[in-house]
Amino acid sequence: MNFKKILSFLLCPVLIFSLCACRGSDDDGKKRIAVIAKAVNSDFWHNVKNGVYSAATEYNVSVTFEGPENEEDYAAQNLMIENAVKDGVDAIVLSAIDYNKSVETVNSAVRAGVKVITIDSGLNSDMVSLFIGTDNIEAGKAAGKAAADGFANEAQINIGLVNYNADTDNGNQREQGFREYISGVPNARIVGSITADSNSESATKSAVKLLTDNPEINVLVGFNEWMTLGVGNAIKELSLSGKVLGIGFDTNVISVEMIETGEMDALIVQNPFAIGYLGVKNAAELISGENIGSGELYTDVTVVTKENLFDPDIQKMLFRFD
Amino acid sequence: MKKRGRRFSFSLSALNLLSVITASVAAAAVCIAVFASVYSRSLLRDAQVNSEQSVSQTLAAINNYLDSMRERLITIGETAKKCETAQEFDTKISALTQIQSDIYAVAVYSNNGDIISCTGSGNTIKNYIYKNLSFDKTLFESAKDFALSSPHVQTLFDGEYPWVVTLAFKTDNPVFGNGVYIAIDFRFSQIAKFIDGVGVGRHGYCFITDKSGNIVYHPQQQVLFSGLKAENTDYISSLGDGVHTEKGVIYTLNTTSDGLWRVVGISFTDELAVEGRTQIIMSIAISFFCCAAVALIVLLVYQKQVNVPVRSLMRAMKAFERNTDEFKFSGGGETVKELKVLSDSFEHMTVRIKELMERVRREETELRKTELRALQAQINPHFLYNTLDSIQWMCEQGKTEEASKMTLALAKLFRISISRGHELITIKDELKHAESYLIIQSFRYRNRFTYSFDTDKSLENYLCNKITVQPLIENAIYHGIGGMADVGEIKITVKQADDCENDILIIVEDNGVGMTEEQCSKILKKERSDSGGIGVKNVNDRLKIYFGEKYGISIKSELDVGTAVTVRIPKIEQEAENEL
Repeated sequence: MNFKKILSFLLCPVLIFSLCACRGSDDDGKKRIAVIAKAVNSDFWHNVKNGVYSAATEYNVSVTFEGPENEEDYAAQNLMIENAVKDGVDAIVLSAIDYNKSVETVNSAVRAGVKVITIDSGLNSDMVSLFIGTDNIEAGKAAGKAAADGFANEAQINIGLVNYNADTDNGNQREQGFREYISGVPNARIVGSITADSNSESATKSAVKLLTDNPEINVLVGFNEWMTLGVGNAIKELSLSGKVLGIGFDTNVISVEMIETGEMDALIVQNPFAIGYLGVKNAAELISGENIGSGELYTDVTVVTKENLFDPDIQKMLFRFD
Repeated sequence: MKKRGRRFSFSLSALNLLSVITASVAAAAVCIAVFASVYSRSLLRDAQVNSEQSVSQTLAAINNYLDSMRERLITIGETAKKCETAQEFDTKISALTQIQSDIYAVAVYSNNGDIISCTGSGNTIKNYIYKNLSFDKTLFESAKDFALSSPHVQTLFDGEYPWVVTLAFKTDNPVFGNGVYIAIDFRFSQIAKFIDGVGVGRHGYCFITDKSGNIVYHPQQQVLFSGLKAENTDYISSLGDGVHTEKGVIYTLNTTSDGLWRVVGISFTDELAVEGRTQIIMSIAISFFCCAAVALIVLLVYQKQVNVPVRSLMRAMKAFERNTDEFKFSGGGETVKELKVLSDSFEHMTVRIKELMERVRREETELRKTELRALQAQINPHFLYNTLDSIQWMCEQGKTEEASKMTLALAKLFRISISRGHELITIKDELKHAESYLIIQSFRYRNRFTYSFDTDKSLENYLCNKITVQPLIENAIYHGIGGMADVGEIKITVKQADDCENDILIIVEDNGVGMTEEQCSKILKKERSDSGGIGVKNVNDRLKIYFGEKYGISIKSELDVGTAVTVRIPKIEQEAENEL
């Protein structure tokens, strides 16, 4: 055996070792997760974002958080999904704008090897690994209970509903849960309902119209953040505070003030931080090969009233640290 | 020998293999064990040190912040004393909050919490205040000098619910009255952001508890609230300051200088394991690979440099042992010094042994030839005496013709015997010599035997050793005829061998007493007991030395019938004599 051969034998492992070392230091070994939200501007999504980053730090993954400007722009969202796949992310945490129109995009992403978890609003695809969010039917029932409890000693509870007409499941499910609960309350009935676009002006207009058209209404329910503001604004505008019970979903500073001042009486509050946190946590575990189960993972809702508004725990949930 | 050789080769290579593999595996195992234990211990230590550093840095930042809060509260208290009106105070505070953005609001409360003055950073106070979370009468009264609240939302201003901590102290003031509280709401977001950003280890974090273990601030308080996660606050509050490692969690605690808050760092040892595991597995794999490669190389080199030469040397030795004469050593190519020496020595040795063997053989032949020549030259003194006695007796009797004939025969006999010349003479001369001997003996043993020659004349000119036939005749006379009562008969025949046309047979037959087979073989082995002359054995030896094993004497004998001694020699022309 000549010297060169021996040398090449000795150099082989050195070479392999250095190659491994190169690969190791390439991208810090961090897995990448793209969080694609329905929107980015509301308090709700700010809290989701905080949860996302909190989990990213804890589970040592790198995350991006983005969403379309317009909460109805499913095409922009599909583009974001495609870009994330092209970018080579390991997982996508998606809040689908449209229950049906992103199915094909998501399915091809999954086929390309990207794990997909949906949060907050689901998608009509069985290729999605997990759904994390509020059980909207339960949330609807919680709203129904708040309505019934708020007027427990009234003879008749006349309810008006203000819902939004986007194609997401959430509003429909909440209303469904609400109706289910109310149907079990003997002295409650739904006297009218109206739909509005998902912004506070449209919601306010619709709510005022509903209240004006149905003066017998003593409970008014708004089914998302904007509908809730519409309900509060309408009660304020028509000076019905204390006469009409305002019930809404989600919070922001305005709706919290409405609780303080009495226009709104109960807010069904989701835990967006937990939704974001769990979305990334489960995605990270899914990437690293852990069995996270499948189906739905529901986060709790909290009913916030004037009484518990400033409880330390409720404060922590309602108010952001920025 | 063969078996021993194989065991040797087996054990040598097995030993090589075993020792190299054992050594490298043992070395690798020891290295890995040492490395792994050192590595994991240092990982844990690193993690603990890292955790301690993170927490103490956080603590330092919080201490600083709390100190500066206290200083500013004192300053504001001083300012309040110097002001002559509430208006003046408001203006100054308003200006201050513009500059110091972390002061959200400054309030002056009466003893029971009524707001005497409240100035914020530009926002207007709500008309309707549902709850003022900044005033906590119990906390304020129980505090020795400064009261520090837990973080809470500030609820006094329109459109905002910022998180603040309230720092308050009781003071007497000429404008606002005695026993009022001056309280500052400091924005908490700065601390919160700082705490959020503190990473301990890979996915550890930091949070703040009060001295009784209640969480003051936790970066994931919303997760904690929803019950998805829980901190073991009871356990944590039972721990002293310092680093504690318990069930895979590293708790690092430190208390703020005012003793109100504790900073808790949480990191996880499993991350070290996960982190370290891949590295360790990688290292192990690489170490094993390296060891295996090195072992392989060593083995190959060893095989090539030691085993192969040793085996070929061994084969060469065996071959040498089997066939020394035709052995030719083709060694060389060894690079290991000892083996080269061994191989060279062996080569040298074989050559030397062959030389020696050749020499011994040659010398032995020479010796024998010389010895035989010496023997040929000898004259049996009894025979000479007896012959001379017979001649003398003949002379006395006046039998001069007979005496002369006898003397001639004796002379002829001697001429050949003492001729110092060639060893080989023609068959014709040899027969003459034999006849001379017969003539002499027939005088001595008068009428006791007759003799005859039957010679193939064409063979007479081939050569044979001198004094070949005479000893056989002597033998025939003494042992065959001597003991006979009747007249014996000796017949000498020279003929071509039936089985080989290149061989000549010289047969001496007698019809004497014969010999047993035992005697026949004894004759061929035994030197002649009496001192002079050449025995049958010598003749046989001489023939074999000169012509090879195929040639020599064979005896056929039967008791009371006679004996036939056959000499087989090759046909050798006179010219070819020199070649022998």
